[in-house]
Amino acid sequence: MKTVALEITGTGWITTFQDLGRTDTERRGVPTGGAADQHSATVANLLVGNARSATLIENLGGELAFVPDADVLVAVTGAPARVTVAGGPVEAWSPLVVPAGHEVRVRGDMTRGARVYLAVNGRMAARTLLGSAAPDARMGFGQNLAPGSRVLLETGFGGFGRGRFEPPLFRLPVPVPRFDDGPWVIDVVASHGGHAIPGIREVVEESAYVVTPRSNHVGLRLDGPVRHPDTDTEIVSHGVPIGALQIPHADELIVLGRYRSLTAGYPIVGVAARASLPMLGQAGPGRELRFRWIDRESSLRQFARRAAEVRTLGQAAAEAFGALGFEEPLSHTK
Amino acid sequence: MTTAQYGAITVEPFGDSAVMVTIPHADQAIRRAATVAFRDRFLAHRPHGVLDVVSGLESLLIEFDPLRTALEHVEYAARLVARWAPAPSDRTDGGRAVRTFAIPVVFDHDNGPDLASVAEELGLAPSGVVEAIAESTFTVALLGAAMAPMMDGLKVPGPVRRRAEPRTDVAPGAVMIAGTNAIIQPFPGPTGWRVVGRTPHTIVDISRPDPAAFGTGDIVRFVPVTRDEAEALNAGFPLPTGEGA
Repeated sequence: MKTVALEITGTGWITTFQDLGRTDTERRGVPTGGAADQHSATVANLLVGNARSATLIENLGGELAFVPDADVLVAVTGAPARVTVAGGPVEAWSPLVVPAGHEVRVRGDMTRGARVYLAVNGRMAARTLLGSAAPDARMGFGQNLAPGSRVLLETGFGGFGRGRFEPPLFRLPVPVPRFDDGPWVIDVVASHGGHAIPGIREVVEESAYVVTPRSNHVGLRLDGPVRHPDTDTEIVSHGVPIGALQIPHADELIVLGRYRSLTAGYPIVGVAARASLPMLGQAGPGRELRFRWIDRESSLRQFARRAAEVRTLGQAAAEAFGALGFEEPLSHTK
Repeated sequence: MTTAQYGAITVEPFGDSAVMVTIPHADQAIRRAATVAFRDRFLAHRPHGVLDVVSGLESLLIEFDPLRTALEHVEYAARLVARWAPAPSDRTDGGRAVRTFAIPVVFDHDNGPDLASVAEELGLAPSGVVEAIAESTFTVALLGAAMAPMMDGLKVPGPVRRRAEPRTDVAPGAVMIAGTNAIIQPFPGPTGWRVVGRTPHTIVDISRPDPAAFGTGDIVRFVPVTRDEAEALNAGFPLPTGEGA
């Protein structure tokens, strides 16, 4: 193991340490938080032989750039992005050897997805709050990176002794999501709050919704038609799942994200299917969304398929890296 | 609290990997107390695959990993716990002991800008409101957003309304009331609660491994102090005055 420094030479609008979020803290008032697009974050880590939940870097908007002071193994995932090493274009969604002193630049295409993820083989040194490096702005835990920041990394990676222009060492079965130009279809499981609003099911299914710039990590705020319940029921705050579709008093639809807290009792008409959550995490301002109702069983089948693809990648990556005698961090791989 | 007081629970699916548990009862106070009691029992007998439990005032959101368990198992476990699990007051769950706190609070106009309007609403003098708060014994019912301790037990002539227009930037340490509850603001931020005072303590310190001073079930009393006394305390993270209820 050795310590490597990544000198951050450029950051986007928001660049932070990130991981898959906190576990078992919601009952103590701290949202799970973590990568908005959990699929991309997980895959980035698996592609460099890390545990799924290893600390990585999330970048929203602009351009992320860094220079390592030793050879490192990295992977970029998330929104379609232009990735270069010392000016030459390289592949995203693939393990990538970056030689010492070469600058990596990552510019996500904001029109097609909001966030990119950068994983580096090894253990990034980052502060944690309740066991996770994920930021929690509300608690004053920003985790922001700025140009000039130095990210320290404990890594066992010693390089493969290969040039940048040689063919890839191995081909991995990488489940790359589609980042379509047109509207994204989000699957939703109906919930009891929908019954209080006659016709809401049809309205949500038939309308187009557009993500507004008022959106943040707490929720996506969508422009589009909604209906309200006829009666004002008593407001009693309660917990809500990630992906809940909430109708506040105003004429908008809110899709709650990973940093939601208790809701003030507004009607919840449905909850996005687990397999749709990563795309919601990538939906930036201007993105058009369509909703499709599905039942719970279909939703779970879909999620199980997605999970199996990620597991297959994890196994293939572990075997490939293991065959290279490159196993130190893999002992943490779940 | 015994099971006989609430008996049946309602378990509703909420999306593809959570259920919402509520306890039907005509009396709001019993609903709320029973929800706390159920939560403690459920956490003490947490079934495989349950990821987290989010307390609302009158409900519990149980989130689970659908690849490790199924909604039917979680629902069954919840019903078993409601019916058979020992009462949490027995503390057979190995859970942490209840602690008691005496929290110094400055109750004046600068620190408690809603004190006068609360007094008017309740038909008391501002000093009467402070007295009522100081004589109340609070129990931490749940940790709300950013680990804010939400407490039951405010003894005033009637429930206190929330602000019609929420305040946008309330200082950390602000002691606030609404209904028959009290809460302490851990970080600067918005709130619809009525701000009546401020403690010099830092009640959530993110540099600590366990950042929250309070846990559910803890007993809190508020002790009025003057501004000078508060400053002289040099108060940091509050420590309990005792253990065991």
